[in-house]
Amino acid sequence: MQVLDRTKIIQEISDLKKTYGDDRSALLPILQDLQETYGYLPDLVMQETAHALEIHPVEVEGVASFYSFFRRKEKQGKYVLRLCQTISCDLAGKVNVARQLENELGIKFGETTKDGMFTLEYTNCLGMCDQGPAMLVNDRLFAKVTPDKVPYIIVDCRRDFLKSDFPKIVPSDVRKSGPILSHDLKPGEGLKAALNHTRAEVIGIIRESGLRGRGGAGFPTAVKWQLAGAAQSDKKYVVCNADEGEPGTFKDRYLLFHHTDMILDGMTIAAYAIGAKKGFFYLRGEYLYLKKYMLEALEIRRKNNLLGKDIAGKKGFDFDIEVRMGAGAYVCGEETALIESLEGYRGEPRNRPPFPVDTGFQKNPTIVNNVETFLDATLICVKGAKWFNEHGTEKSKGTKIFSISGDCEQPGIYELPFGITIAQLLKEVKGENAKAVQIGGASGKCVARKDFNRTIAFEDISSGGSIIVFGPSVDMLKVAINFMEFFVEESCGQCTPCRDGNVKLLEGLKLLEKGRCSVTYLNELMRLAETIQLASKCGLGQSSPNAFLSILENFKSEILGRVPEKA
Amino acid sequence: MAKVLIVDDDPDFVSAVAIVLENAGYKVCKAHSRQEGMQVFDKEQPNLVVLDVMMQEPDDGFVMAQELKARAKVPILMLTSVGQVTGLDFDKDSEMVPVDVFEQKPIMPSVLLERINQLLQ
Repeated sequence: MQVLDRTKIIQEISDLKKTYGDDRSALLPILQDLQETYGYLPDLVMQETAHALEIHPVEVEGVASFYSFFRRKEKQGKYVLRLCQTISCDLAGKVNVARQLENELGIKFGETTKDGMFTLEYTNCLGMCDQGPAMLVNDRLFAKVTPDKVPYIIVDCRRDFLKSDFPKIVPSDVRKSGPILSHDLKPGEGLKAALNHTRAEVIGIIRESGLRGRGGAGFPTAVKWQLAGAAQSDKKYVVCNADEGEPGTFKDRYLLFHHTDMILDGMTIAAYAIGAKKGFFYLRGEYLYLKKYMLEALEIRRKNNLLGKDIAGKKGFDFDIEVRMGAGAYVCGEETALIESLEGYRGEPRNRPPFPVDTGFQKNPTIVNNVETFLDATLICVKGAKWFNEHGTEKSKGTKIFSISGDCEQPGIYELPFGITIAQLLKEVKGENAKAVQIGGASGKCVARKDFNRTIAFEDISSGGSIIVFGPSVDMLKVAINFMEFFVEESCGQCTPCRDGNVKLLEGLKLLEKGRCSVTYLNELMRLAETIQLASKCGLGQSSPNAFLSILENFKSEILGRVPEKA
Repeated sequence: MAKVLIVDDDPDFVSAVAIVLENAGYKVCKAHSRQEGMQVFDKEQPNLVVLDVMMQEPDDGFVMAQELKARAKVPILMLTSVGQVTGLDFDKDSEMVPVDVFEQKPIMPSVLLERINQLLQ
């Protein structure tokens, strides 16, 4: 049993407060560092953290219990093996890897080996959907894991990776570049171009380009910036949403690694436009291995006067960026939940209005934009709105970076214009024999063959970039079950329709799997799904039954009247 | 007599303000969107603009104010309920909200007339 020294813990927390600040917003980073030290969050550690931040211990317990990366009861192993359970990795043979991991370690998922070396867990989307099955070992990523590789990975862990044949960094597979990905800009070039204009002019350029949020919702970027710029406040914030948690999305992982400076330029341009002095880079917990690259990039920018005081010689323009890590909560991709998380609370979405552009981080005007949006904004400031408008449709300007995975010959990252039909896209990725395509991840729509002439654009089928191709042999009921399990796990629990409704939908799918669901009951479930869409307050809840509804509408005859396999 | 352009996407509000201003002796021209507002402004060359904020886009009023100030020295009275609707806290500001007076809806006709008289002097 671990003996805890209260005095030492108090001193550690005091030191961490010097790094992260002494208000509530420091709670998550402090807990993350303490878990790193102790292997889990013992009660005493949580109590002392609460005292140090002058909040009730129940508040700390509530936060620690919300995020899946925090452990409260049992010390985690020296190596935590997190196997991705998303549908793309499922299609690539995750179940066999899981079984072999259990065989080699002699434990089940959710358990820790007796020697304290290994903890085995499932996790949602690691952003490696085109190279699945994927597994994260602490902050080290493994792609295309097969059962025969499992013992070698475990041996490497036992040797503390002093010698390993597995690559340290798994490269992304960019299959097609367009005007965005093949830019030739140098760090700071976009920012300096923007600083030649007034704040209102910068927003005017973004407005003229018609740039809409690349996270999927498609809110006009210029409107968000204009409202935040016009709002009255001494403190304003720019937040980059790098919480790429949508199953099937992995393009941000590539952008963060290879276009870091363009994204940071975009954040700084936004800060200039709205009058912000501080930015946050909210990076998902699963991308911890990218943190050091981000910190290095920020340090170089400070040295080159692209961050800090009087940036690029512009008198009075001061701005800096802090990296904050998520802790394994999909809902934190929703902007108000993300802000709650930044403030040190459970990642529960807020009611809107008020909107973050006025009442964001600590009630101050805040803009939250996607990684790709900032990249696009930087390029637009240099190359102009007209250049951006050469591609796309009337209502969806420009190109979009897609993450394409599943049953196709060439999965990977593609930059394609908005307005492309699903059939054209499938031809591009060599997946023409698909029977269905999931557009927009788990919260998106499942489109069947009959609708492959529809376009991917904000005015038709919107997408944050996730495209999962399902081949002719895929069991669509299993797909629906995978997505519903995801939402049951990731619902924040605030709204009853989402919290309990999704559980009922999943139960219904399990009944269908057993071949014991009447059409009348199925229709009831579909009405319940519509209620969840209407009665949930955030985007996660409203979109959680999308896959359920679209799969059942399109594949009813495949799903009904099943005869279960004999055990 | 001075000419006032009223730009608001709510036709009832435009009519009500027009009646108040016409009774006070002003000439009135009307528009219901940012785009229409700019066209009417160019054609009618009003002496003052009464401008809403949230029209087709939530920031249309701010954008139009910036466009107007870039091409003419016309006084602008921003008249909006944006603060109450969205919870946003706005006020005039030289660069992003370049208006001369910022007033919240609803406004008493006497107060509206007083503000307009002051701006036109």
